[in-house]
Amino acid sequence: MSSPSRVDLLLDLADDELILGWRNSEWTGIAPFLEEDVAFSSIAQNEIGHARALYELAARELGTDADAVAFDRPVAEYRSAPLVELRRLEWARTIARHWLYETADAVRLEVLKASDDAELAGIAAKIDREEVYHRIHAEMWIDRLLGSDEGRPRLDAALDELWPYALGVLDDELRPELVTRVEAKLGRSLPDVDPVPRGKHETELADLLEEMTSVRRSAPAGARW
Amino acid sequence: METMDARTEDRTESFLAHVQSGGLVETGDWMPDEYRKRLTKFIEMHANSELMGVLPERDWILRAPTLQRKLALTAKIQDEVGHAQLLYRVVEDLGKPREVCLDDLIAGKSKFHNVFHYPTRTWGDVGVIAWLVDAAAIISQKALLKCSYAPYARIMRKICWEESFHILHGRDVILTLVTGTDAQRELVQEALDRWWAPLMMFHGNPIPAEDDPMVRWRIKSQPNEEARQQFLEGYVPQVWELGLTLPDPKLRRGDDGVWAYTEPDWNELMAVVSGHGPASQERLAFRRLSRTEVDWVARTVLAEAA
Repeated sequence: MSSPSRVDLLLDLADDELILGWRNSEWTGIAPFLEEDVAFSSIAQNEIGHARALYELAARELGTDADAVAFDRPVAEYRSAPLVELRRLEWARTIARHWLYETADAVRLEVLKASDDAELAGIAAKIDREEVYHRIHAEMWIDRLLGSDEGRPRLDAALDELWPYALGVLDDELRPELVTRVEAKLGRSLPDVDPVPRGKHETELADLLEEMTSVRRSAPAGARW
Repeated sequence: METMDARTEDRTESFLAHVQSGGLVETGDWMPDEYRKRLTKFIEMHANSELMGVLPERDWILRAPTLQRKLALTAKIQDEVGHAQLLYRVVEDLGKPREVCLDDLIAGKSKFHNVFHYPTRTWGDVGVIAWLVDAAAIISQKALLKCSYAPYARIMRKICWEESFHILHGRDVILTLVTGTDAQRELVQEALDRWWAPLMMFHGNPIPAEDDPMVRWRIKSQPNEEARQQFLEGYVPQVWELGLTLPDPKLRRGDDGVWAYTEPDWNELMAVVSGHGPASQERLAFRRLSRTEVDWVARTVLAEAA
């Protein structure tokens, strides 16, 4: 019998990946370049794949299936961080979110990879093998925007705006590591602000879930799709 | 001047003889202006269609009812963007840069396939598009494997390979729905009723091969009607086998194996592909808006590349 906190931990990650997976695929067909369209779509597929693997583990403990965990809970039970819930952002903010999330996720995955729970450590390692490429992609864009007269102010404003949300991805004890990594890369300090914590949902999440489950809810529970 | 013209004429004649006897053309080879123009326009329309084909499906990534369907649909749409990328590269090699193609597309100066001018209303549409629209497309694309322009034919091999998976995905969505609840089954029937007319127009009006300059240059090798007959022969029996109906009382297979059908409204096809379809303007407006939004990103990256 596992403690409920293990399920909560799985759902923190899974909900983040599912919701961000969708937010990233909002660029499908309309990214600034076809190459970026393909890249964000790959990243979205990885994230939804990670979510599925995590939901499967959670579902086993909850005695249900991954789709039911992913789609059939009330909004209030979603554990995603508000950072991933924000509706499709314009490009500078998309890149800021992408990089802040991937950096925070790396901090979190390093801890999980060292977990005594072999199953959790294993899935974290598997996820991290793909996240490496997301981080490379995000950093490439950070460098590109920082190196551009037009991109830099846009990115800086986006980072400052999203910073409280980024802090909210992690628990208290992991936040200092995120601050260190982000400030080292940017070569500047970020505003000293209160995090927007996990569980405090943006209204975007309710709208998102309403639409996300609209087809699924149109047939009685248990229908195959 | 006269000698130049005579020389060009000779070259054109031997080029025509070359392609008509199965010869291939590579990017750096000399080609008549008319060939280059027709080829460019044709491949550009193909690229535009792959790109515009993303729009009717993209909203359904969010609404896909299971994690597996969400992954499959995202991957399918990504394939299409990838196809557009490859095809615009071929067009670029023929002399028209990608950015110009995209400008022409949003300005309504170039065309895209008729089926992408219609709205997607239900999850049933997602299945019908992936199964039958992609099935219709793969028939044309398989014929293009024999295109005289070798770089295009080579890309078509990859595209056909990927499209065949889309059809399997689409068929699986359809099979799951028709074996589900009555309402799920009705989703398929209702979508099929709406999509049948656009599907029948998909391969174009029946131009005799001898009158089709695209066939003369062996850019295309399959007459339109032959493609449509192949589609009907391959898919109508499958649709009927699932207990679904098609909204054409004249549709039947003759003893000679030729399918009879109600003549599609070719004027509607012309109107639709020239930007007067039910969703044409909305889709172009969406693409214009999103292009304006990310304009500064292109400036930034292009400045860096310069």
